[in-house]
Order: sequence, then structure tokens, then C-alpha cells
Amino acid sequence: MFPDLRRDVFVPVAAGLVLFGLFVGAGLFYQGALGGQERLVTFAIIDAILVLGLQVYVGNTGILSFGHIGFGAVAGYAFALMAIDPVEKAKRISDAPFGLTDVHLGPWAGLAVAVAVVLVVGAVVGIGLARSGAESGAVSATVITLALLFVTHEVARNWPDLTGGDRAGLSFKIGGALDSRTPLYLGLLGAILVALLYARSRGGRMAQAAREDDLAARAMGVNPLVQQMVALLISVSVVSVGASLRVYEKGSILPSDFFFNLTLVTLVMLIVGGRRSVTGALLGVAVITAGRELARRMGQDGFELFGLGLDDAPLDWIFRENLKTVFLGVAMLGFMVWRPDGLLDDWDLDRWLHARLRRWRERGAEAPEVPEVVPDLVEGGPGDEAVLVADGVTVSFGGFRALDGAGLEVGRHEVLGVIGPNGAGKTTLLNVVTGLVGSDSGRVALGGADLSGAPSHRIARSGLVRTFQNLRLFGSLTVRENVEVSALVASSTRRHRPPPDVDGLLVAAGLWDVRFRRARELDYGTSRRLELARAAAMSPSFLLLDEPTSGMSDAESEAMVDQVRRMAGLVGAGVVVIDHDLNFITGICDRVTCLDAGQVIATGTPDEVQAHPAVRAAYLGTSGGG
Amino acid sequence: MLEVSGLTTAYGEIQALRDADLRVGSGEVIGLIGPNGAGKTTLLNTIAGLLAPRSGTVTLEGDDVTGRPPEDLLRAGLALVPEHRRIFTDLTVEENLRVGGVTVPAGERGALLDEMAELFPVLRAKWTTAAGYLSGGEAQQLAIGRALMARPRLLMMDEPSLGLAPILVDVVFELVETLRAQGRTLLVVEQNATRMLEVADRAYVLRSGEVVAEGTGAELRADERLFDMFVGN
Amino acid sequence: MVELLQNLIDGLGRGSIYALLALGVAVVFGVMHLLNFAHGELITVSGYAAYWALNDGWSWYLTVPLIVVVAVLTSLVIERVAFSRVRGADQFTLLLTSFGVHFVVFAIFLLYVSASVKTFPRPGWVTNTYAVGSLRIEVFDTVVIVVTLLTLAGTTWVLQRTTFGLSLRAAAADFDTARLMGIRSDSVIRGAFALSGLLAGIASVFWLMRAGSTVPSAGIDPMLKGVLAALIGGLGSLRGAVLGGFALGMAEVLLRSRLPDSVASLTEGVVFLLIALLFIFRPQGLVAVDHAERV
Repeated sequence: MFPDLRRDVFVPVAAGLVLFGLFVGAGLFYQGALGGQERLVTFAIIDAILVLGLQVYVGNTGILSFGHIGFGAVAGYAFALMAIDPVEKAKRISDAPFGLTDVHLGPWAGLAVAVAVVLVVGAVVGIGLARSGAESGAVSATVITLALLFVTHEVARNWPDLTGGDRAGLSFKIGGALDSRTPLYLGLLGAILVALLYARSRGGRMAQAAREDDLAARAMGVNPLVQQMVALLISVSVVSVGASLRVYEKGSILPSDFFFNLTLVTLVMLIVGGRRSVTGALLGVAVITAGRELARRMGQDGFELFGLGLDDAPLDWIFRENLKTVFLGVAMLGFMVWRPDGLLDDWDLDRWLHARLRRWRERGAEAPEVPEVVPDLVEGGPGDEAVLVADGVTVSFGGFRALDGAGLEVGRHEVLGVIGPNGAGKTTLLNVVTGLVGSDSGRVALGGADLSGAPSHRIARSGLVRTFQNLRLFGSLTVRENVEVSALVASSTRRHRPPPDVDGLLVAAGLWDVRFRRARELDYGTSRRLELARAAAMSPSFLLLDEPTSGMSDAESEAMVDQVRRMAGLVGAGVVVIDHDLNFITGICDRVTCLDAGQVIATGTPDEVQAHPAVRAAYLGTSGGG
Repeated sequence: MLEVSGLTTAYGEIQALRDADLRVGSGEVIGLIGPNGAGKTTLLNTIAGLLAPRSGTVTLEGDDVTGRPPEDLLRAGLALVPEHRRIFTDLTVEENLRVGGVTVPAGERGALLDEMAELFPVLRAKWTTAAGYLSGGEAQQLAIGRALMARPRLLMMDEPSLGLAPILVDVVFELVETLRAQGRTLLVVEQNATRMLEVADRAYVLRSGEVVAEGTGAELRADERLFDMFVGN
Repeated sequence: MVELLQNLIDGLGRGSIYALLALGVAVVFGVMHLLNFAHGELITVSGYAAYWALNDGWSWYLTVPLIVVVAVLTSLVIERVAFSRVRGADQFTLLLTSFGVHFVVFAIFLLYVSASVKTFPRPGWVTNTYAVGSLRIEVFDTVVIVVTLLTLAGTTWVLQRTTFGLSLRAAAADFDTARLMGIRSDSVIRGAFALSGLLAGIASVFWLMRAGSTVPSAGIDPMLKGVLAALIGGLGSLRGAVLGGFALGMAEVLLRSRLPDSVASLTEGVVFLLIALLFIFRPQGLVAVDHAERV
């Protein structure tokens, strides 16, 4: 099921070629038929490479980076130091450190060195970002990237022995600039393909899942920090290529070349087009390049530009030389206020093409059969021994003891209900078991392996997968993509289990007809079913469900009983389910544990527990004076 | 004093509250009980203006206040002690109380503070302590005191006994009795149904977002179906 | 020893300005969760006001209140024009909105004044020094430190004793609950921007007295220092922001005087690296603020 070569490789490559053709074609048309400046098109191509590099990180992880141009500066200097002729270097930096004055590698090797250096810097910065708790929209991560931009700028300005300093810089004089556009075209095509293929790859999908909901991604076994690092390294490699080409094309490098201004330009391009879309990144480059050029010319010539010869004297206050900078600032502000997702949001050409292709192929095709529940998995095979055990779990929040020596024990393929009044600690117990909350004491073990204190993604990979009380879907991914994320993780981490059948699960959960809808567009009951299917696709040993019927009517709750049984049966998982609805619990559970005030007050069959006086008292409260 | 009719509130697609009716008379203590997820907190939050209702009306002393923001409703005389108390942990006890009184004229705050110090002796002892250091029971009293500082005509409390040790639950219910004796009007969401029904003049039972029963405290206590309503049988 | 004492005083002087800037950033972050990359623009705008006034023959005594008033008004205008429209938006939008404001202000001065440096006379006493034992202390540093301490004391009084201050702190801790107490979001957010502008205005006076000039991009440096100091201190903590400001100033002065000559010019770079290290080892900043997430 993965990779789906057509969807994840062939169509993206085809789409990439189309995008490349459109972008370059538009540039050549402007330059040829409209007599535009060659230089503008050349730099638009270079900007596009930089913006695509930025998109790989910002788009897939949701972390805003101000530092990519800082990586660009590192790459630019590394490239220049390697590629410039020693004779030229001797004029500006006659005693560069590390004997760099005499190095002469030429542009291709220089490019390789630039990428390598940036990868090292990127790895270090990536570790810092991970430590700072980087996740989608994290403020500290953004400031760290901003600090990086300033570090590189300061170093470049104040280390003249290496960089030629603030004014002189480094320059080539190797026949001036690039003598043909071929390297630019190659770079652009490569950047487009890398960005598209990464977005459809395993890593890209996991990074997107973490972007949508970091916590839920962890609970599905994704380690967002690893995925963010991968995205960062790929992203900065692309940026280094763009930066090196920019230096080559300009024939020189100064600290101010890779600083605030370029950061602004590339970010505006990215967000105007739509940061989550590769097509959007390219569209943004085109729109902003055109807009800036127009603003520049209007700043010079006013309406003369259109050959209208209108009297623009009353508009003198706006047609001024630096109009293009105003244009950039206003574009950024305007889009943030009115259309923060950009022109295209996450629409991408390859996905659209694939959807077209699929619809065409699937005309009249039927949904697959609902898969048979594998009987030997349901009927508790060899061993009714308890495999999930939590014991003596104590958790305090401030002075409040949420759990006080609570625990649970579930056998393979067993369905255990956890009930108790509001504030009894049910969800906290589930959070401890799945590693989202640390416990002060106590133990969690699965089939003999101790999981106490393990990070949540590792716990998920060991086979404990949960759902959330307040629905945590990957909202802008499709229904199918939601399920695929956990199937992807399962396919590499849960190999001893039968691989999850994504289509089968979708059909079984009644999601087949909505599989290409975005998760955030689903109604509530469907969302709940999707959460269940997504968890089941991890091939878990145990499904842990937190209030799967909350907010449902009685009829919907009843349907949920079958739903949970079927999904658990399909993947052969035991179930721990928290619910307040005893009707639902009785309908589905083999055994029930009742918590009150952080302690287990009763365990037994649903009927036994319901009849237990302590349970009654826990639900209704006890009389005064006690 | 308060009339709620046909109130429906939804979070996206979830209808957390369906067509709820409720009435609170001046000087009454009204209980609102029901299982987890029944919509009790949603009902209070909607009345208090934290959530916008999809349909229905909230009338306070004859004025339609549906959909007004909480800061206006407070000025109209409606105060809510939120679930989990939500005291400002970095602020001292006194500062918490002062925040509660930002809407009363400055000249009257001193007298109100004295009144709270009298009503809550445990707080008086910790007047300048950061509220984060209070125990659960103390924090609950602070949360109630903070709401009283606004001199509300109707005080709503959401789960005041949640997470408290039994002895502190007693303190909370004694406080409810005291407030009733002062002639205040209360609307209290409580999980401890038995205790609530002992102190309430009347109570409503919510289940799956709907009001399923209503009656005096004594009537509901005598009702054998109460446990079933709670657990969903 | 004497040198260390000398550094300490210099560091306090520099740190004072950073502390004022960082506190302004933290106040706004508290109520809006907006990390304001446009904070430095208050200095840019008031810098041009000072340039205009001083070259028009105003004395510094009149210019000082002008700078402060302009900073407060600019802060309020920026809130009204830009930030009020993105209240409650996600971090990505908030961060880029403030970045956008920075660029619009930058571009406006580029468009209507010029890209070149505009200078104005500095007050004569700025470079004066006096001696205490073998220490040479700048009159300017002394004034900065004293005024800053007075400002911080005043701010503390406002935050602790006034209704506005209490409302601000309550709203920063828990906005919904603050609204339940009758606190109006509009007034508390505008108040936060006004206070932030006031603090930036005072910092701006010192910044401009020392610089004696302004350019369209003048806001970048103070913005960066303010934002970094607030972050070093622990975002959301007001005390942390002040502490972060002093720590940053001290670190800069100490490094500049202690680093070997060959790398002294890289002080800023080294400071940024140290900050990066701080994040790696203490990601929550000096003063941690709890942000519990309910699942």
C-alpha cells in the first residue's frame, strides 16, 4: 500500500515537470514576447529555488523560520570560498583562516561543499530547535531561527578575513556570472521534484501529521522531532543550492545579500502562494516578482508605464522610488489579515491530477468488500494472561492528587471498561499509560515489557494506541491520509502483526465514501469513527478509547458498540474504554473497573460493578456529615 | 430572576445542549445534576456568555441577554465560578479578590474585601499568599469569594466540590447554606447529586444535553430512577 | 576587580534599556500571545519624530516627552490597524503579522523620508563621565539606570495596585476567566499596548540620545534585543523579561571587554550563540511559565 507508486512518485514527477514548464515558460514568454528583462527572470528562478527550500520546512512542519536565509548565507560564503579563483581571493582575503585563500575547487565541488557545510550547521540548529520544543507555531523555534539569521550576518560582517567584510565582500571575476541558465534550470527542476516527492513521502506525511496535531501524531507513534529534523535537512540543502546559484549569478557576495530583505521577499512569496503547497510556492514567486516589478516601474514612471499618459501628479505621494518595498510589506500584512493560508492554501497540482486520474479510472467501480473479521484474533488465542498492566499509579498536579495508586489489568482481546464520576482520574490514567503524563510512582507494562516513563511515540509503537476525548484529527489531511499515517508507522514498527489494510478499515468504519474529504469537514459521529479507524490502523495490541460516545445520542452510542468491536476484531486488539455511559459499557465490556478520587473502588463484570454500593455512592455522592 | 428557554449549544457538530429550559427564582438555590458529558457545564457557560447558543433565549430579570459577552453579563448581575476554579495562581489571595471586584466602584471595594475576609476565615490567614499555594478547598473558597466580589444577583457555580476531600466537600456545602441564608440566588452544577439535592430548593437533571427531570430536592432524592439516569440505563 | 565593577555598571546601563524593551514585549505577549517583531518600530517612529523636532529647534527637554507620546500613540495605532484584526489567530499568523508591520513602517520611512541616515544633535552631557575612586562612570549610564529603576518601580506599582494592572495580569493568566470577572478584552489589550509603548518610549529616549541618528531600519536592533531578552527570561513572565534584559546587557558588555581583540568584533554573534545554548539547556528560559495542555 505504500509507497503507492502512481500517487506518490509518478504523478508528482509528472506534475513537477508541468510546473517547471509553466514557470520557465512564463519567464521566457515575458522575456521574449514582452521584451522583459532577462535578469528579472533569472532571479525569479533563483528565488523559486530558495522559496521551495523554505516550503519544505515551513509547509510540512508548520514551524515559521526566519533563519533559512541565514543558512543561505552560510552556503553562499562556503560556495564562494571554494569556487572563487585563488588569485581573486588573494586580493580581498589574502590570509583567510584554514588556508582557504588557496583552495580552488570550482563551482560544482564548491556547491557540494556548501551543501555539506549547511547540513552540519542544520543538524546543530535542528537539535537546538528540538530542545526548544519545536512544534507547529512554536514561538521559541521561530526566534531561534531569527537568532541564526543574525548570527550569520554578524559573523559575515565582522570576520573580514573570511568574508571580505561588510563593504568589499567576495567576488568572482571568473567570466562574471553564470554563462548559461542550464544550472538554474536543473536546480529549479530538482527543487520542485524534491519538494513534491518529500511532501508525498513517509517522512513528509509524518511531518504533516505532526503539523496538524503534535500530540495526536505522537500518540500514533510518530516522533515529530525526527521528522522535523529530516525536513530541516532537506530544506536547507535546497536552500544552499539556491543560495550558491544566487552568489554565482551575481558574481559576488556581501553580508547584506542574505539578510532581512531577502528573508522578507522569500517569506512573502511563500505565504502569498500558500505555504502548504508546492504549486503555491511557485505561484507566490511569480506573483510577487511581477508585483514588485510593477511597483518598481510605477514608482519610477507612474501611469506612463501603461502607455496611458494619465496625469499622475495627484498620486505623486505613492508613485515613489521605494514603492516595491511598500508593496512587499503590505502584501505580507494583507495576506496575514485577510487570507493567512495564501492563494492556494494546500492545493497542489499533483494531488489534483491524481484525483482526476482516479475518478476517471474508478468510474462505476464498487467499494471493496467489508473485510472478514479474522476469527482467531478475536477469540482470544492462546493465553488469557493479562498483558497490559498498570499498577500503583500516583499522579499529583500541584496539590491535587489526580491518581492515588490506581491501576488496571487487561488480558489479550479483552474489553475493559473504566468508569467513574467526573474528576475520578480516568483520563489521567489513560494519559499515564500512553505516556502523555508522567506519574510520580507506579508501573506500566505491556506483555512483560516495562513502559513506565517511555515517550508516547514509543509507547504507541509498542502497541498501546489511543483516541482522544476531544477529537484530535489531522484536520487538513484527508480521511484516508489520516488513516495512512498510522498505517505507515505500523508498517515499519509493528512488523510482527499483520499489516493494516487501509481500505478495509475505511470500509469497515463506514468512511469509504468520504475518504477523500478533509478530516476537518466531517460531522461529529464520522470524526469519531475516523479516530477509531486511525488508531486501529496502527495494528495495536490494545486500543485505548477515551469517551468514544461523548456528545453522541443514545442511538449513536449503540452503533458505536458494534463499531468498536469490529475495529478491534479486524486488527486483533484488546480494548480499554473510558465512558460514563453504563449502557454502552455494559454492551461492550467483559470487565469493568470503577475509579473514584484517583483510586480503584471496584472491578468485576459490568453487572457486579453496577450493583456495587461504592459505585453507586461514587456516582450520586454520599449524604452530608461524612 | 433567570429564565432559560429552548437553549441549544453546539461545538461544531456536537450538540452539547439540546433545547434546555430552566428557571431560577429570586432567593432560590437550584441544583443542576447529571452524569459526565450531560451538558451541565455547557449550560452554565452558555448562560454566562462564554459560549454562543445556536438557538434559544436567556432572560435575566425580564431583559433578553442571550449571546451577550461575559463581561457585560457580569455587570448585569450574573457571576460564574468556573469549573476547576480557575483562580489566578500568580496573584495573591487579595489580588484575586480585587480582580473579582473590578466592576464595583472603587470606594466600595474595601468593604467588600472585609466582608470576604469575614466569610472566609481561611483566606484571611493567607491574604498575601500567591493563590497557587492554596489547597484545593481554599482555592474553591477563593474562587467563590472572587465571584461574590462583583456583588452578583445570581451566582452560578460549576462543580464546586470537584476533587475535594470529603471534609472539604462539607465546607463547600456549608458555604452554600450560608449563602442561601444571606438570601442569595444560586445555580449550582454538582456531581455529588445526593448532597446537592439535600441543599437545593429545586433541581434539574441533565442527560445527553437534555433536561430529563425536574423537581424539588426531596422529590428527586426519592426518585428510584435517579441512578439509572446517571449511568445511562 | 575594578574592571569587573566597571563592566557591571556598563552592563547595568545597557541592560536597563533592554529590560524596558523586553518588558514591553512581555506585556503584549501576556495578553495576546503575540511576540511582537514590530516592537522596534516604536523606536523608529519616535526617532523620526525626534529628528524632526530637534532639527526644528526643539530642545531635548521638549523632545523627550514628544518621543514618549509618539511611542505610545504609535503602539496604539499599530494595535488598531493591524493586531486587532488578528486577535486569536494562530501563532504563524501573529508572528508574520508583526513582521509585516515592521516592514510596512520600514517602507513608509524609506518612501517618504529616505534610506539615508538622519542625524540630530545629542544632548551635551551624554558623553560626560565622572570618577568614583578609580571607576569612570558615564553620567548617561547613571541617568539610564536611575530612570529605569524608577520606571520599573512605577510599572510594578501600576501592575500590583491599580485596577488596570490587576486586570492586565489576570487577563494574561487566563483571559476567559478574566472576562468572567467583567474585564473587557478591548480595554485590557489596548492598555497593554499603551504600557508597552510607554516603556518603549522611555527606552527610545535613551536609545536615541546615544545614537544621535535614525534610519528606516533603526527598529531591527532594539526589536531583536527586546524579543531575545523576553525569551531569555521566559516568555510570558514579566519578571523574567526584566531579568533577561539585564542578563543580555551584562553578557554583551562582559564579552566585549573580555574576548580577545581578534574576536571582540564578533561579540554579537557570540551572544546569539550563547542564547542558542541557553535554549538547548534551558528551553523554558530563566523563569519558567506553565503552559499546561489539556488532553
